[in-house]
Amino acid sequence: MNGVSVKEADIAVLPQDNAGSEEKRLGFWLTLPAQCLVLFIAVFPILMQLYISMTDWSPLDGIPWYRAYELWIGFINYTDLASDSRFWAAMWRTFLVMIVCVPIQFLLGLGLAVLFVDEFPGKRWFYSTLLIPMMVVPAVAGYMFFLLFQSGGPVNDLLSLFSASPVKIAWLSDPSLALVAVMAADIWQWTPLMFLILLAGMISVPQDQQMAAVLLGASWGRRFFTIVLPRMKTIIIIALAIRTIEIFKIFDTLYIMTGGGPGVATETISVYIYKVTQQDLIWGYVAAIALAILIVLSVISAIAISRMSKGANAR
Amino acid sequence: MRRSLPFEFLRYAMILLIIAISLVPTLWMLSMAFKPIAEWSASGAALTWWPENPTLDNFRFIFGQSSSELIVSLERTAARPIVASLLAAIVGTLIAMTAGTAAAYGLSRFGKGNNLPLALIQLRLFPPMAVMIPLMIMWSFLGLIDNWFGLAVVYGIVTLPFAFWLMKTFFDDMPREIEDAALVEGCTRLRVFAVITLPMMRPALASSALFVFIMNWSDYLIALLLTTRDWVTIPVYMTSLSSSMTGQLYGAKAALGLIAAIPPVILGIAIQKHLVRGLTFGALKE
Repeated sequence: MNGVSVKEADIAVLPQDNAGSEEKRLGFWLTLPAQCLVLFIAVFPILMQLYISMTDWSPLDGIPWYRAYELWIGFINYTDLASDSRFWAAMWRTFLVMIVCVPIQFLLGLGLAVLFVDEFPGKRWFYSTLLIPMMVVPAVAGYMFFLLFQSGGPVNDLLSLFSASPVKIAWLSDPSLALVAVMAADIWQWTPLMFLILLAGMISVPQDQQMAAVLLGASWGRRFFTIVLPRMKTIIIIALAIRTIEIFKIFDTLYIMTGGGPGVATETISVYIYKVTQQDLIWGYVAAIALAILIVLSVISAIAISRMSKGANAR
Repeated sequence: MRRSLPFEFLRYAMILLIIAISLVPTLWMLSMAFKPIAEWSASGAALTWWPENPTLDNFRFIFGQSSSELIVSLERTAARPIVASLLAAIVGTLIAMTAGTAAAYGLSRFGKGNNLPLALIQLRLFPPMAVMIPLMIMWSFLGLIDNWFGLAVVYGIVTLPFAFWLMKTFFDDMPREIEDAALVEGCTRLRVFAVITLPMMRPALASSALFVFIMNWSDYLIALLLTTRDWVTIPVYMTSLSSSMTGQLYGAKAALGLIAAIPPVILGIAIQKHLVRGLTFGALKE
């Protein structure tokens, strides 16, 4: 704190020069805690991961992790990964959930945003109510859908109502239907997020051009597709990217609903990694899977971010 | 823009329909939480949409009081997991907000060409699953497994990107003139930050902290991997309820789910103005 009072005196004499170096120093100290945390969670663990992934180490072996070199196997974990059919099936299943859920969430969210874009009585209440699903703890949402899809649960009850004969589908223990139930839960929980982002984007589209188009007699559909949607391009990309990334990580809801089962019918990539970590305990192999995924994602995100910032500069 | 009457009617009809659908799962769990065991809908029994004999037994049960119908009593009650969830989420929020706010201010005012923002976005891209092995090894090395503080540190790091980006956009929005005036008066940068900027940012700090708290409170996976017994959080405890008991404890789990779900829903609605900003890393401000 002594340094501070000296600084005050300095500034009074030489405001220009001193302010510059002081700012630099302050900028460094202020960002230091965050930098350390990132280093702690990113750089060091990844190096450790690289090391473990070259070994056949497991916490059951009775040797500490730093002596894992005694079980050195080189790249064998990685070559195993290439021919691990359960891994690739989990990967495919994750993509399946992605390509089904993201478009449905997008279209529903966009439709809702259109309904909410201008003022009407009760808008605030409806808006808040619609956001509730995304605020529910995902694990709890998983339990909600677990209850809904029981064979004696409300979903079957409603279906019986419509089909006039009692429906007893065992959703969560049928390999071909369990994934549908999981997707329903994801769509229920995350459509509000799409809606929230798309609505914010839609509201921020300037009104003047739309007014001009109205005066020229353009139909609503024409205005929407030629003026509103193109203006929302960046926001749409952000919304789609957020959901795609989050679905790639899908775990909580799904794991509570089905535990990845029946069998491996709903085993996505996170569930697969979790199971190998907790049940099979071959951590050397898990490290290899995790690192491979990290590398692929880093490359993709680096390309995406550089393209997006280039696009932002061009505008 | 003026729209016709049929359009208005159609709009309300569609909104109400979607709201009805979107509330079913929540309401079903709500009704489950207040049902006595006889109405839990064992596969044979007819389904009741609303509890016919509403009861608080499920809530009493998870806090250790066995009722006439549920003779099983719990080895561990829900009280400790609730404390664990609160402790880990609150301390995690403090860590994220402290580091995030400092870094956000530093970069918003005098940080050009720093690559921390992008590093933080990348951090968010990665599935937490993918760094879990080293983390579990490190944490057991440091004795932080099954420890609320160990969990809080991970939460702090995981939500740091949100704290940082939210605060950065708030700092970017703040007019510089006030700070500049104080600087001319002879205040140091640090004093300006502590005495002028931070107090002005109180509402922004509050909503960012609530946002980060919701994120921490919602976690399941990290707690599942890093806690085993003494410091399990509510969602982990909830899943253990059925596996350790004979049969499913539908009502008890629903009661617990309700307790877990209420805080984020209330807080989330309170800060809904800033949700977009937080969720899109400040790319969009409403």
